[in-house]
Amino acid sequence: MKAAEIQSTKGFTAESSELKESRPYPPCRAACPVHTDVQAYVADVAEGRYTDAFEVIRSVNPIASACSLICHHPCEQQCRRCGVDEPLGVRHLKRFALEQATDYRRSKRHAVAQTKGKSVAIIGSGPAGLTAANDLADLGYKVTIFEKNPTLGGMLSAAIPAYRLPRVTLQEDIDDVLSKGVEAKTNCEIGKDVTLAELSSKYNAVLIATGLSLSRSLNIPGVDSPGVLLALPFLSDAAYERKVDLGKKTLVIGGGNVAIDVARTAKRLGAENVEMVCLESEEEMPAWSWEVDEAVEEGIKIHYRWGPKAVKASNGKAEGLEVVKVTSVFDESGRFSPKFDQNETMLIEADTIIIAIGQMSDFSFLKDSAVKVDERGRLVWSQATQMSSAPGVFVSGEVVTGPGSAIAAASTGHRVATAIDLYLSGKNIEAALVSDRKDKINEMPKDIIQKLAVQPRGKVAHIEPDARCTSFIQFEAGYDEYTALREARRCRSCGAGAVVNQDKCVACLTCLRVCPYDAPIVTNKAEISPDRCQACGLCVPACPCQAITMVGYDVNAIRNSMPSIIGDKGAEPVIVAFMCSHYAAEKGASLSSNVRKVRVHCTSRVDVHDMLSAFEYGADGAFIVFCGSDDCRYREVYPRVKMRTELAKKMLGATGMDPDRLAYFRTGGEAGSDWVKAIEDMAAKLKEMGK
Amino acid sequence: MKSGSNLEKVIKSGQPAVTAELGPPMSADAHEVIKKANQLKGFCDAANITDCQTAVVRISSIAAAYIALREGLEPVMQMTCRDRNRIAMQADFLGAAALGLKNCLCIAGDHQSFSAAGRLKGHPGAKNVYDVDTCQLVGIMKKMRDEGLQQGGDKLEVAPKFFIGASWTPMGDPIDFRPYNLKKKVDAGADFIQTQGIYDMELFKVQMEKARNLGLHERTAVLAGIIVPKSAMMLKYMDSSVAGVSVPKELIQRMLKAKDAAGDDKKKAKELQEQEGMKITVELIQQALEIPGIKGVHVQAIEWESAIEHIVKAAGLYPRPDFSE
Amino acid sequence: MIVGQQKKFDEIWEMVKGFRKVMVLGCNTCIAVCHAGGDKEADALASMLKIKAANEKVSMDVSHGAIQRQCENEFFTPVLEDLAKYDLVLSIACGVGVNFLSARIGKTPVYPGVNTQFFGGVPKPGFFEELCGGCGSCVLNLTGGICPIARCSKSLMNGPCGGTNKGKCEVSQDIDCAWFLIVERMKQLGTLEKLFEVQPPRDWSGSFHGGPRRVVVEHLRDIEEKQ
Repeated sequence: MKAAEIQSTKGFTAESSELKESRPYPPCRAACPVHTDVQAYVADVAEGRYTDAFEVIRSVNPIASACSLICHHPCEQQCRRCGVDEPLGVRHLKRFALEQATDYRRSKRHAVAQTKGKSVAIIGSGPAGLTAANDLADLGYKVTIFEKNPTLGGMLSAAIPAYRLPRVTLQEDIDDVLSKGVEAKTNCEIGKDVTLAELSSKYNAVLIATGLSLSRSLNIPGVDSPGVLLALPFLSDAAYERKVDLGKKTLVIGGGNVAIDVARTAKRLGAENVEMVCLESEEEMPAWSWEVDEAVEEGIKIHYRWGPKAVKASNGKAEGLEVVKVTSVFDESGRFSPKFDQNETMLIEADTIIIAIGQMSDFSFLKDSAVKVDERGRLVWSQATQMSSAPGVFVSGEVVTGPGSAIAAASTGHRVATAIDLYLSGKNIEAALVSDRKDKINEMPKDIIQKLAVQPRGKVAHIEPDARCTSFIQFEAGYDEYTALREARRCRSCGAGAVVNQDKCVACLTCLRVCPYDAPIVTNKAEISPDRCQACGLCVPACPCQAITMVGYDVNAIRNSMPSIIGDKGAEPVIVAFMCSHYAAEKGASLSSNVRKVRVHCTSRVDVHDMLSAFEYGADGAFIVFCGSDDCRYREVYPRVKMRTELAKKMLGATGMDPDRLAYFRTGGEAGSDWVKAIEDMAAKLKEMGK
Repeated sequence: MKSGSNLEKVIKSGQPAVTAELGPPMSADAHEVIKKANQLKGFCDAANITDCQTAVVRISSIAAAYIALREGLEPVMQMTCRDRNRIAMQADFLGAAALGLKNCLCIAGDHQSFSAAGRLKGHPGAKNVYDVDTCQLVGIMKKMRDEGLQQGGDKLEVAPKFFIGASWTPMGDPIDFRPYNLKKKVDAGADFIQTQGIYDMELFKVQMEKARNLGLHERTAVLAGIIVPKSAMMLKYMDSSVAGVSVPKELIQRMLKAKDAAGDDKKKAKELQEQEGMKITVELIQQALEIPGIKGVHVQAIEWESAIEHIVKAAGLYPRPDFSE
Repeated sequence: MIVGQQKKFDEIWEMVKGFRKVMVLGCNTCIAVCHAGGDKEADALASMLKIKAANEKVSMDVSHGAIQRQCENEFFTPVLEDLAKYDLVLSIACGVGVNFLSARIGKTPVYPGVNTQFFGGVPKPGFFEELCGGCGSCVLNLTGGICPIARCSKSLMNGPCGGTNKGKCEVSQDIDCAWFLIVERMKQLGTLEKLFEVQPPRDWSGSFHGGPRRVVVEHLRDIEEKQ
């Protein structure tokens, strides 16, 4: 099934997005450093609008494709489904949506007019730099990126191994930014090829987004021995396919995500045996647990709670690392303060030792510049203005925040772009640059959790460890469409639910009476608890004053787009099929083109008006496909939606049309027969009737 | 004497009174009334002339009562609260009195929705009146008779003198309240009471005892209503569907037995059931008259006025006392 | 609140079919609560009219809208001019709204799309029950809070009549006998003896039977008009 085949019923109005911003965020969105509207794009995916999903994702995230593969997805950790079963597969859905929308995405690239007449130089092209470049180009600035590496992307390009992030995928993000008219100077190192002072004089503003480009080393005996490497140069060599000499047995020092990347890269470069050693226990280890698991799957052994003491070498070759037992890593107040038992030591044999214990900034290019670095080696800057000590020289990303995630760095890119725009517009930065912290809705109430069906998370396939370790092939497969659509339907649309227009509400109590989740509270007027509302939409068509809108979608979308849904009528009878998105995903494709498919998140959102509007605009029939009882997202709504459909049939009958022109079908559980056939039968019957 | 009617005289004499019922026809044909009046004449002390019972349009009660009177049958005109407001009611009392009518039974009247039954279209869409209810109507009549005043207070040169009756459903819901319901009608001024048809004599005795405890038997004359059963089907229907009526199983059994005795002969079955019905009626009359405080019986042979003669004779209530001068 | 029910569509169509430009106007107060004539129903009815017009090949331009209350001037102020541009306003307010608008709109006819029913309550979702007769002279203190005017089919003041059958009214098994309820309620309240008194004939002049009624609240009147 092609995405293009699905009728788009969406139309996000300015009004609805304004409403959305005024409401507490769902936890997924609140957790995302760039506040990606997760549920909006997940809903788009669920209803087959992949290009819309792309737009939602890309609107806040210029490194979307990279994130779709490497993001640590705080959204998933915060997902309210965790209380029910497992979090939504947000990252996988993002990847799926972006992959589906690739052609569209490429077609949308175009240069942005440089209307501001001012220029910005950006040093560094990692997530922060790219994001700032993206935003500033959108605002009409002439942007030039200076990158010391041969490719753009910062660590995404120079360090993250290709088995996690294929460079063709990253290139989609970079091409988006470059297409706006951003100039990039690669292999151009500040301080060597051009000085900061030159940039400051040539450009109206300069952004330092150089990140953490140096690996930290250890101050232990033997660390200078041949065979002892640092993580970033090693990863960079691997990334640019430069030759790396690895022995048979490689040992990686460190317990973070970079250490895991190093170990798994070593494995792929041919090291027969790769081991890791870290101060922490398995639980304390800072690397993401799923990455640790994947490493272990690949045969990497991890020595927990050992501290490096000395590199043993002889004949100009490293032979191993002497380690000492760690008794504790953190002190009582949780600060990093490792304690050792000097009596317990051992030697881990290795001919190659790679140190991956952290990264730091390289400030050598700031020497003799107006940008100050303090006595402790930290860049002097103001968080309120994102500016360094030199006027017009801004900072963002890990160079000032310290180590973090790619998406966190990107979020500082947005912020600094705003700051630069304010600066270049002669406005007060501090006053206008607001915090982007957002209120979020509370945990899912327990009684509601009990009402929700357990639906296991859609899994993605990984290439078998033996096979994947032979090359840098992307080891993780994405969702297929079936899995993606099913997964997208697992989203509970937290916080995207009903909002009552207090001016219109007459406190008739209807919403309270129809809500399966006891979300409405009616005192003088109705209010709907965002914590309880599941955004099924059942209350919207029930409200006699049309006082309820939804945060997550435009309640008039179906009606408003009905003329385009019906489109040109051919010889065949036109049937508008309102389908629960789940079933549309599975079977919608086999319907002939005279059936106009309208996917809905749940049929509870289909109003009597929507059904009648099909006939108003000339449909010969309409069909509602409810999902079955077992896998229904909102199991409680069916009887009411059925009653509503019966009412619409009666109303249709009252106008003199055959009420059987409107039919419904519940799949699975109840009837068990084939609704596709039912629609076809209807079409045949309509044809017989002469439409 | 309040009205000087024959019925009042019989009751006052202490002899058990017998009233019957005459249903006017759904046509302008006086002969039907004349025929029925002659069937009843001499076998009852007075006959109720129903006022569009079941809300079906018939010759009006007053007109039919006047025809009956002409035939020598004392009528009890009926007046429902359904069809008239207090102006029409009082006007009709004056007119009826002027025509020589002396008894009146005040009732709420069946709701107009009853009129569309069986093959009849009736007038279920009619607007009902219910300006006053039964108690209030009784009070209005009493005020006119005893005080010579209209309900509004205007004086009457010549007051209409009616013997005032009201209906009572002793076994209707809520059953505890029914004796008080009776009391209210008596307090309002009801001289006599005709009850809803009674088959369950035991329960009626209980209700009568309560009425006696309220002293009502000394203030009004309660005539026990007996509806002559025609068939087992009718009894079953009355038992299940008529408000305030319950029919003991034995009575239904008796009628069924009578019916079965005829085998497949439908005509015979009808005859046998009618005979059994009359027999039951006679028994019921006798039982009722034994209840303390009961001053007579109101025998309703619906659309079967010819049965009254036999019943009254069989019950030993014939001949009827004669107070004519 | 006032309870109403939308007229049968056929009847509405007969009223409306001769008009070219029709406005279906809802009222977002009582009649919306009983889902007969609020914004939503105006919308749906307009939709039905459009379908019908298309099927009958009648050229008809149907719009819809709703105001807060069709029984007060102020709510009409912003829309009255616009309403007058239609050939017909089909009001689905209660009859009050139809009267009210009709008197203010000028030459445009205002037709009713709703049958106004009664003053009622909502004992359970989807059920609307007549509970008050608006008789102008309340006796609920005498009848245990159960209105004999609205809830007794015969509006008896000294009920029950002989038609009570197993607690139901003789008119229908679906109707509770009000007097049965009154007696039970008065027993529960320990005030049954109040029912032993005969209630005299009522003065109906305070009800509709005294002619159309008007309530004047002196202190709310326009100062100028009063002077």
